[in-house]
This record gives sequence, structure tokens and C-alpha cells, in this order.
Amino acid sequence: MTPVFFVFLPIVLAFFIPILFKKLPQIHTGWFVLAAPLFLVAYYAAFLPGSAAGETVTSSFSWIPSLDIAISSYLDGLSLLFSLLITGIGSLVVLYSIFYLDKNREQLHNFYVYLLIFMSAMLGVVQSDHLISLYLFWELTSISSFLLIGYWYTRDRSRFGAMKSMLITVFGGLMMLGGFILLYLMGGTYSIRELIAQAPEIANHDLFVWSLILILLGAFTKSAQLPFYIWLPDAMEAPTPVSAYLHSATMVKAGLYVVARFTPIFAVSPVWIWLVTGIGLLTMTWASFFALKQRDLKGILAFSTVSQLGLIMSLLGVASVAFHVDGAESTVFKYAAFAAIFHLINHAMFKGSLFMVTGIIDHETGTRDIRKLGGLMGIMPVSFTLAVIGSLSMAGLPPFSGFLSKEMFLRAMLSLTEFDLFSFETWGILFPVIAWIGSVFTFIYSFYFVFHTFAGEHKPELLPKSAHEAPFGMLISPAVMAALVVILFFIPNLLAVWFIKPAVLAIQPFLYNAPGEIDVHVSAWHGLQPEFFMTLGIYAVGGLMYWTLRKWQRIYDVFSHTYSLNGLYDSLIYLSDAGMNRLSGLYMTGFIRNYLVYMFGFLILITLGTLGVSDAFEFDLTGTAPIRAYEVILGIVLVAATVTILMAKSRLTAIISLGAVGYTVALFFVIFRAPDLALTQLVIETISVALFLLAFYHLPQLSRHEERMKFRFGNALVALGVGVTMSLVAFSAQAQKALPSISEYYKETVYTEAAGGNIVNVILVDYRGFDTLFEITVLGIAAVAIIGMIRLRLTRKEDVNEKQ
Amino acid sequence: MINLPLIPLLIPMLFAVILLFFPKRIILQRAVATGALALTVLASFWLIYEVYTGGILAVTLGSWPAPFGITLVSDLFSALLVSTSSIITLFVVLYSFESIRKEREKFYYYPGVLFLLTGVNGAFTTGDIFNLFVFVEVLLMASYLLIVLGGEKAQLRESIKYILVNVISSALFVSAVAYLYSVTGTLSMADLAVKIPQIEAVGILTVIAVLFLVVFGFKGAIFPLYFWLPGSYHAPPMPVLALFGALLTKVGVYAIIRTYTLFFTMNTGYTHELLSIVALLTIAAGCIGALAYFDVKKIIVYNIIIAVGVILFGAAQLTEAGIDGAIFYLIHDMMIKAALFFLVGIVAILFGTSDLRKMGGLMKTRPALGWFYLIAAFGLAGIPPLSGFPGKLLIVQGGFEDLKLWGSLFVLASSLLVLMSVIRIFLYAFWGDPVETVKIKEPVFRRMFYPAAGMVILTIVLGAGAEWFMPLISGAGEVLLNPSFYIDAVLKE
Repeated sequence: MTPVFFVFLPIVLAFFIPILFKKLPQIHTGWFVLAAPLFLVAYYAAFLPGSAAGETVTSSFSWIPSLDIAISSYLDGLSLLFSLLITGIGSLVVLYSIFYLDKNREQLHNFYVYLLIFMSAMLGVVQSDHLISLYLFWELTSISSFLLIGYWYTRDRSRFGAMKSMLITVFGGLMMLGGFILLYLMGGTYSIRELIAQAPEIANHDLFVWSLILILLGAFTKSAQLPFYIWLPDAMEAPTPVSAYLHSATMVKAGLYVVARFTPIFAVSPVWIWLVTGIGLLTMTWASFFALKQRDLKGILAFSTVSQLGLIMSLLGVASVAFHVDGAESTVFKYAAFAAIFHLINHAMFKGSLFMVTGIIDHETGTRDIRKLGGLMGIMPVSFTLAVIGSLSMAGLPPFSGFLSKEMFLRAMLSLTEFDLFSFETWGILFPVIAWIGSVFTFIYSFYFVFHTFAGEHKPELLPKSAHEAPFGMLISPAVMAALVVILFFIPNLLAVWFIKPAVLAIQPFLYNAPGEIDVHVSAWHGLQPEFFMTLGIYAVGGLMYWTLRKWQRIYDVFSHTYSLNGLYDSLIYLSDAGMNRLSGLYMTGFIRNYLVYMFGFLILITLGTLGVSDAFEFDLTGTAPIRAYEVILGIVLVAATVTILMAKSRLTAIISLGAVGYTVALFFVIFRAPDLALTQLVIETISVALFLLAFYHLPQLSRHEERMKFRFGNALVALGVGVTMSLVAFSAQAQKALPSISEYYKETVYTEAAGGNIVNVILVDYRGFDTLFEITVLGIAAVAIIGMIRLRLTRKEDVNEKQ
Repeated sequence: MINLPLIPLLIPMLFAVILLFFPKRIILQRAVATGALALTVLASFWLIYEVYTGGILAVTLGSWPAPFGITLVSDLFSALLVSTSSIITLFVVLYSFESIRKEREKFYYYPGVLFLLTGVNGAFTTGDIFNLFVFVEVLLMASYLLIVLGGEKAQLRESIKYILVNVISSALFVSAVAYLYSVTGTLSMADLAVKIPQIEAVGILTVIAVLFLVVFGFKGAIFPLYFWLPGSYHAPPMPVLALFGALLTKVGVYAIIRTYTLFFTMNTGYTHELLSIVALLTIAAGCIGALAYFDVKKIIVYNIIIAVGVILFGAAQLTEAGIDGAIFYLIHDMMIKAALFFLVGIVAILFGTSDLRKMGGLMKTRPALGWFYLIAAFGLAGIPPLSGFPGKLLIVQGGFEDLKLWGSLFVLASSLLVLMSVIRIFLYAFWGDPVETVKIKEPVFRRMFYPAAGMVILTIVLGAGAEWFMPLISGAGEVLLNPSFYIDAVLKE
């Protein structure tokens, strides 16, 4: 069994979940589900020694070999780290969900099927070396996220959030697919490793920047960066285990993964560096600022997640800078990639535990509204402890691991001031400043989150339930994560050897050949460096602002919904149904006469246009017979009869005029010596006029007076236009006969081979007898259709009830 | 067997005629129609096999040598479409048992369906441009029968429009054939492919090519000739709609692809650029309509138009990726449209309305229907590994190769709008608070649901098993890109 098959293990298990749910209702289905991630953690952990030594494992199977499309698994430091996060946190989340979701009330089979699909999808995303395989799993994560957000599908907010997240992330996915196809066209392969190998050639291609931007669109939408982050707060409608798992620890990091994975290809481009660093940093600060506007605990955490994702994103941008610096592995530029991975791990830990604590609060008090909460410290001491550990790590305080990565983040941002390419010599100073502001707000909202919930005054009258501590089982998972937050503070370098350095190698293969070459050592104290003073500043300013939070929190009221990004999304959605409805209503009138004007108008425009552009018009009368008086007279009669039909006030006049048109055509046939055609035409006209008269005899008087056909200039113009167009083309086609006709063959063979006397008849029944056979069929079908139309009348009333 | 290309159109015709003799015996009607279609499907598979192993098959009728008589030509492109159409028609008939109503079954519904398939398969097989006209007439007349059958008010109102537009387009068709014949002196498509490159008067041929685009555009519902479609397709009962939606516009699309690869290639810089612009506008127009309405039928109907645009955008590129993608997407779209119409048909019957805003919560009572719908919806939007994906991937790849960057991105982005339109049905009909549904007996529901589910499963096979079909698809594309294969097969003497 190669690793690629283990990607599908959760999906395979998912097939059995509905059965287990139905057959064994007394056991919580989650216990069966837990087997998959637990097994996979052990399975992937076995690859760690190899990965720490810089080894990689590849396996794949072909899906569409003709198109060079395969599903692949490539395990290097980066993908192994993600795989362990996915399965490790997955195990904890499933364990937590067993106590969070009631086995009798909830549709557990649905929930766990979605969750397992997601797990496979996410493993696929991070292990795919093949671009199409990556895209496939990418969309599958969007879909499973859609299903999980909409898990409580009778709620309007759930459906809204599900749709919003899917639209934004699938849009990103589609654009990313565009970028992938461009990469394929440039490099001739879908394999990321092979593309990295030819990165220098690809960089010179015209489409390089296109593909870069398209892929970033995918990464930014998925990882909730500006301006696409708006789906993430609405995704909080999902059950809390889902928020902890998908919307903070794993799925939203897929964008970070993609940026990290493609850094070796795109690092060469200044566009990449500016976008990834700039958008990341702006997102971090923007979201940390707006986190303080939130009243819902999960809302705060959602904005906090957006902000932290921005932070890591910006670090990955700085990691690309190292590509442009000689000897970056021994300068200050070596820290960024390391810090990115380090913080990514830390964030997964502390944010996961915070989400779970939020779930506990929701579960045990019945609300997540921070205004109703307070004073839970004494009632829920364990939860409080866990929340403090998570929050302080998020705020960047020692002795929690967040402190270490936060310091490195500041150091990396400071390093940009020393970078002197791509206008960074002018603007580089902005980066540490923005990063510092974002960190201050991060500090404030961390304190806001924990102390407004647990400290202050307990308000039991506002809570739907009387608060109490969570059951033991529910506390296990957050406690494990919180413990790791503390432990990692003390052993960061062990973490580095096993997890961080192998991952950094994947991001910066242009700097290192083996994880051991990465010369970064983490320490809590490294002297009075600038970043140390920045940290002190954050504590001081953040503390002061938290103290005075109530005084200035009102400033958020000035941000109206209408002019926000959410407002933009809402108006786009409005535009997409009501707006499109109005737009469509403008031309879809339901009247065939309008439609005919459009269609004929197009016919005239396009045909005459082409006639003009391609200079095709030609008029040539050589070989044509002279026009005689009869023909002129017949022509006038024909036109007059046609006009009469349109002007007629009674049906009788109209029918007779119609007959006149037909008979005139028959006369033309006579003049042009086609007696059999003339006869046919005469018979048809006689029968149809007689039938019309017969049928119309039974109809009520024509009410032309009520709706008198008005003369419409536009319609007349279109009618005239069609006639002129068709005539001009006819003249040109007649004048430009290029080759002898196949009819010469008929003249030669009609006696000898077909043994017939009348060439028209022989064409009809022999040369082209097949046409005639089916023309007869057409008549037969018409007869059957008429019988059905006359004899069968269904009324609408019974239509619906017939099946009862 | 030399006459093999004829079989898939003669079987349905023969049985249609037989069925005319005992219209009131419903069970026998159903059985004979099903049997006839099963035979047609088998014959079409045999045809694919023969063409795939032995090359293009050409039948000269009455043994009049091409280009003087009529030739039927089965290449892989044609054979694949014949098979797809026959399979879909079989499923439509199975689906009809519970949804078309007994009265219609007594009034030549099944002969109508079989005649329609005769016309469709004939149109896909013929190698003669005038004979194409004749087969189009056959399928149109059968479609008139089906659209008006039942005589409901909406049916009568909309069929007048439908017939009017089609009569006009038929008149244009004959005129266009006449112009083409006047310039080239021939009607055989293979012969046209030989003679057109010899003609110096490229200008008039370009005009005629554009005129044919208009003619086939009426059938295929391209921008801005699609206006007749939304109303006309809204009126007939769901199985008929499924049949129309899956097959009829595709005949127009097929004809455009065939003529624009085989012989209208004298001025591709103009005609094919025009085609890709029209294709993109078609997608845009379809997207507007698909989002504008809260009516399940209309949403899927407008999606037909979007797909036509996507296919033609691929075909316009005349590259291997673009053509292969267009063929794959064409086959995918025929099947997925049938599946979607089946499914929303059941939804509409369950709620007694096609208005989305009066629906809700079906996921609680009919979860299987919901899951199959969701899969079909993702398939339509081109989410891998479902059937919409390989085609769209190739089309976009071809577009990029052709440096149509914005156009290709637009095609990609249109997938999002497609997804939005069909997921809206899911959100309203399947999620949300349950709304009371019409009570349907379980066996009745199953007899409608199984054909629908079967169709969805076929699309999954087409997508996930894309590799099995790729040799056929690329074989079909190879002939389209190399007209000489087609010419040699027809004019070999």
C-alpha cells in the first residue's frame, strides 16, 4: 500500500458511517470515526525520521493517463507537517465532538461523513504533487466545508454562510485552476516538483505573472485574506468542532500551504513578494482591529484567525525575499520561513483550544454573546485556565509558544528594512510599523476574549442555562492542545528539528539542501534586540488600550454595513438574482415579435457585416435570361398580395391573398419551364387555401379592430432588411459560381444508369430517394401530431393530483 | 456490416411505425419502445466498436457514388453522439412511465420519441448537407408532436412560437444550402471539404459560413438566437423537456462543429473568431437567465444555453485540446442535462410547483434525491472528478494556448455562476424548513427516481472513468482536425 491510498482511508470509512449510525445507535458514531485519524497519525509519524533527514516519499496512481492526469501523494517535510496537523487535530476534534454533539438529537451520520470527506480532501491537498490532483482535493474541501457549515440546514444563517463560503472559495479555486493550466502550458508538466526544477525558464514566460496572480487568488480566498475574508466569520454557523477544525486549524491554512509550496517557483517575482507580504500584513492588522467589534465569541475568534493567517502569509512573503539576497541563509533573512511554519503550528494549537473552550461555554451557558457572559472564572475553572493559556499565547506572552514565534515575526518584518530591491528601500519601513499595530490589537482582543468572558461580574439572569463546568471528556482535547502550547515554549528546538526545518527546506530549496543546514536556533531571550523593545511596546500600549477599551470601543459604530465588504457581497448577491431578474426582464418580454426582431436584426447585421468586411458582394447578369413583361407583372402581383395579407382586416381577404402569393409562384414555375413543380405548387396551394377556409369558417369573427396591426417603422425596417440581405447574398452567390455542379452527372446517367425519363423524378426517387423517404416520414409524423393535438386535451387541474 | 451506420436510425423509425398500430395498449407501447431503444443502444455501441477498430464507415445510398448520391458517414464523433442520444432517449422513456401521464401515452407519445431519435441520429450520421436539413425536419416535426401533445394552454401558446421560429430557421436553412450549392456545385460534405479550398472567392464562402452559423445557431440556441428557447422549453412536460434539453440544441451544436471543422475553414481568422465571441456572449446571456429566475425548470433551461457557449468556445479554437474538450463537454452536457431535468422534474412533482420559493426541506424526507441532485449539480459545474471537469479543463487549456486569456478565464468564472444557479435549487428545495409535499406512492417515486439516479451514475462513470473514453474522444477529435480522414473515407473510389 503506497501513501496515496491512505489519503482515501477516511473517505472509505465514510461509506460505512451511515450503516454504523443506523445499526449501532447505542454507541456514539464518533468513536468509530476516531479510528481513522488516530491510525493515520501513527502512520504519518512513522515518516518523521526520514523527513527530518530530508528524505521524501512519492506515490501516485493515474486517473486519466491520456491527459497526463494523476492523483499523487508527495511526502516531504511540508506535506508531512500538514498531514500530521490534519490527522492529529482531527483526532482531537472528533474526540471533542463525541461529547459536544448529542447522539440522539443530531444527524451524526451526515456530520461524520462530511468530516471524513474533508479529512481525505485536506490530506489530498497537502500531499498532491500533481496540480490537477491538488485542484480536485481543493474543491472537495470547499464542498465538505459547504456541507458542514450548512449542517443545521433549516437555519437561514447556516444556508447563507454555506453559500457564501462556497461561492468565494470555489471562485478562488477556479481561478487557481486557470493558474495551474497556465503553469502546465509553460512547463509542460503538471508535477509541482518538475515545475520547480524548471522555475528559471518559467519565470521568463509571458504568462508567468498571470499564473502567479491566479494562483494567489486561490490561496487568498481559501486562507481568508483581504478582501475575501468575509466568508470566514459567516462560516462560524457551523458546529464548533467544525470551526475548530476546518475554519481555524486546517482548511483555511490550505492557502498558506499553496503559497509555501509555490514559493520556489514564484519567489523570483517582485509581484509575488509585494502581494503576499502586503496583503498578508494588511489582513493581519485589519482583522485584528475588527476583532474588537465582535460580540460573538466565535466572531472574535474568526477575525482573530483571519488576522493570524495574514501574519503567517506575510511571513511567507518575506521568505521569498531570501531568494534575492546573496547568502540569505546566514543573514537575518533566514528567519521568515522558519517563523511562518513555527507560528502556523502554534496557531493551530492555541486557536484549536480556544475554539473548543468557546464550544464549551456555548454548550454549558447556552450563549456566546460576550455581553451576557462574565465571571465564569469561578464556575468553570478548568475552561478558564485553558482559555488563558490559549489567549496569552495568542497575545505573544511568555511562557507560551506564541511568544517565541511572535518575536521571530517581528524580527522578520524588521529585516525588510534592510532589503533594497523592488522599492523596499523606500517602503520597507512600513512593514514593521503595520505589523506592530496589528500586534497591539492582537494583544487587546486576546485579553478582551478571555477576561470579558471569565472575569468581571457573573450575569446568570442573561444566560439561557445555568453555567457549570464541562464534562471531563469535553475538556481532554483542549487540554492536550493547551499543554502543547506550554511545552513547545520549552522545547522549540526539538520541534524545529522534527517538523519546522524539513518544512522550511520545502519552501526554500534554493537556500538549503538538507534540513540540517538551516541555522536557526530559537531562544526566549536573545538580548536587547529591536524586536524586544517592540514587544515591550506592544504590552504597554496594548495593556493601556485594553484598560480603556470601553471608552473607545464605540468607534466601531461608525463602520456601516452598507459600505463594508460584506455590504459589497450582499449587493453582488442581490445583483445576481433580483438584478439579473430585472435585466433579463428588459428583453425577455415573452412576445415572439420582440424575439424575432432581435433574431432577424442579428441576421441582417452579421450577414451584411460579413458581406462588407469580406468584400463578397458581386453582381453579374451574364448567363441570365432577360426579364420580360410577364415576370415584372407577376412580381408586382406577388408583392401586392403579400402586402395585402399584412393589411387585411378580415381573415377571408388574408387567406385569398395568401393563395394569390402561392399561385403567382406557381406561375413563375410555369414561365421558367418547370411544369412538374408548377403542378405541385398549384395542388398545395389549392388544398391549403381550402383547408384554411374550412377551418376559419368555425372560428369567431376576427377581432382585428381591437388590436389593429399598427405600422411599426422598426419592424418594417427589419423585414425589409432581411429581404435585402437574402437577396444580396443570393446575387453574390449566383455571380460567383466557382465550380461545375454535380447535376452534370445526373444529366449523363439519368438514361443510362437510372433508366428514367424525367430527371426531377429520378432525383427525387433514386439519386436522392433517401431524402424523399424521410420527407414522407415528416408528413406521417405531422398527421400523427395533428391527431394528438385535436383529440387530447389535458387540463392543468388534474396535473398535480394525478399521482395520488 | 456495411450498412451499420443506418441501423441506429432505422430501428427507432421502424418501431415507431409499428407502435402507431396499437396506440391504446400502454403496456405494450412501453415495452416495445423500451425494447427498440435498447436495441438502438446496442447497435450504436457496435457502431462505435466498428468505427474505433476499423475506421470511418461510409454508406452510399442506392450505391450512387459520392458526391452524387447521399452518403451516411459514421466517424467516432458521430457514433459517440448517436450512442449518447440513444442512451438518453432510453432513460427518458423509462422516466416517462410515471411522469408523462397515461393520456399522452395513448396518443402517440412513444412513436413521437422514437421519430425524434430517428431525426437526431440521422442528423448526426448524414454526410450530406441537404440530407441534414431533411433529418432536422424529421426531428423538428417529432418535436412539434411532443411539445403540443396534451394540449394544455401553456403548451399551445408556446408551441406556436416554437414552430414559428423553427419554420423561419428551416427556410433560412434551405436558402443557405442553395447559396452554398450555387457557389460550390455540390452537397456532399466530403466533397465540399475537397472543393472549398480550391475556390478563390473566399469572401462569398465566408458570408455563407456565417449564414450557416445563424441557421445552426437557431437550433443550437446561441446568442442572440436563443430567445425562443426559454419559453418553449418551459411548456412541455418534464420528460419531453429532458429529451429536448439533452438532444435538440446539440444537433445545432454538432452541425456547427462539423461544418466549421470539415469545410468552413477557408477564413478561420474571421469565422472562428466570430464563433468564439458569439460563444462567450452566449455564456453570458445564459448566466444572466440562470440567475434571474426562481423557477427550477428555467434555471436548468438557461444552463443549456451556457453549455452551448462553452462547447462552441472550445470548438472555435481548432486545437487538439479545444476540440477534444468540446467533444467531451458535449457528451457530458447531454447526459447531465437529462439527469438534472429528471431530478428537478421529481422535485417539481413533489412540491406541485416549479417555483423555488415554495419549496423547502426535502433533505429530511428524500435524502437520496438530494444527494443525487447535489452530485449532478457539481458535475454540471465541472467539479472533479465528475464529468464536467475533463471537458472544461481541455477547453480552457485550449483557450489559453490560443492566448484567449480573458475568454478562458470567463469560461472558468462562468462555472461559478453555473454552480450558484444550481446550488440555489439545493438550498431552497432540499435545505431550509420542510414544506409539505404531494404524497406519492413509494413505487411510483422509485420508478421516477431510478432512471434519474441511473443517469447521474452514468455521468459519474463518464467523469471518474474519463480514461476509458479518452481514446474515443481523441479519436473523434483527430478526424475533426484532419478533414482528409473524412474525405478519404467518403470519396475513396
